Amino acid sequence: MAPTTYRMATDKELNDFLESVERRAFKQAAYAVRKDEAALDIVQDAMIKLAEKYGDKPLAELPMLFQRILQNTILDYFRREKVRNTWISLFGGLGRRDDDDEDFDILASYEAEEGTSAAESSADQVERAETLRLIEEEIQKLPARQREAFLMRYWQDMDVAETAQAMGCSEGSVKTHCSRATHSLQKALEAKGIKL
Amino acid sequence: MNTDDINLAYKIRHALNENLDNLPASTTDRLAAARAAALARKKAHATDAPVRANQQRASFDLGALFSMQWVARAAVVAPLLLMAAGMVGVYQYEREQRAAELAELDAAVLSDDLPLTAYTDHGFNAYLAQQQQAQQQPQRAQ
Repeated sequence: MAPTTYRMATDKELNDFLESVERRAFKQAAYAVRKDEAALDIVQDAMIKLAEKYGDKPLAELPMLFQRILQNTILDYFRREKVRNTWISLFGGLGRRDDDDEDFDILASYEAEEGTSAAESSADQVERAETLRLIEEEIQKLPARQREAFLMRYWQDMDVAETAQAMGCSEGSVKTHCSRATHSLQKALEAKGIKL
Repeated sequence: MNTDDINLAYKIRHALNENLDNLPASTTDRLAAARAAALARKKAHATDAPVRANQQRASFDLGALFSMQWVARAAVVAPLLLMAAGMVGVYQYEREQRAAELAELDAAVLSDDLPLTAYTDHGFNAYLAQQQQAQQQPQRAQ
């Protein structure tokens, strides 16, 4: 048998890798789901899936695999929430026919929880903290695919090919998403008078 | 993306990184616990990893073949394919049955003692009717 060139990541390498991405992954999940507790659960699930299923992969493949797992776990969360909200609205509607539930918007259930970093009050914070908060807010407002592409490319240091692979789309789409995200952020930040 | 866009993207990245340091201790503790849980699962898995790696080279990756995503897709596509194949099969069978019936009929007509032209001959038809009447009359007389 030919000698193998492929070497799986050691426990230490996997630990270091997870340590280097866990905070960003948490923020990424929090931008998407807008609930810190749910974001922590998502990151934990993604870490466990990576270790269990891809623990034997080489270190170089881990960033892309982890991002892919993280995005899928976020999607799974939304699917579960959608089913849960459907049941809640169905049974909630039975008891309260006269309520103003007709224009029920599923996005309304994703309001940021009080006290989470997503909804952090900025009244008593310094200007810089306020700017950072506004930037995070604008990132949350981006369409999901644009946000994913932008964060993977510029925050997770993934190249276009890796981002495309993690997102399951073409490299051209990644570039388009990144460009649109950057322009939207620029416009939004300018409108709020924020200069970086 | 032009240089200005890239600059802006990296400034945003810098700002996001700054915020990472402000995470509450409860969050960082929870992340560390999650990491430890993940590594514990890896250890259990790592013992059979070399065997699996060899198996992959020897044959093919059964895990990937039967991964959930693949199974989910197959669960939708396979019944559709089966139904299409079934419909084609039924159509073919019916066509063959029909052809066989027609062939049987043709063979019966062609191999009969009576020539084909007899069926289009009005005189022959009249003769047959006359014969039939003649046969019935003696029966009535009796």
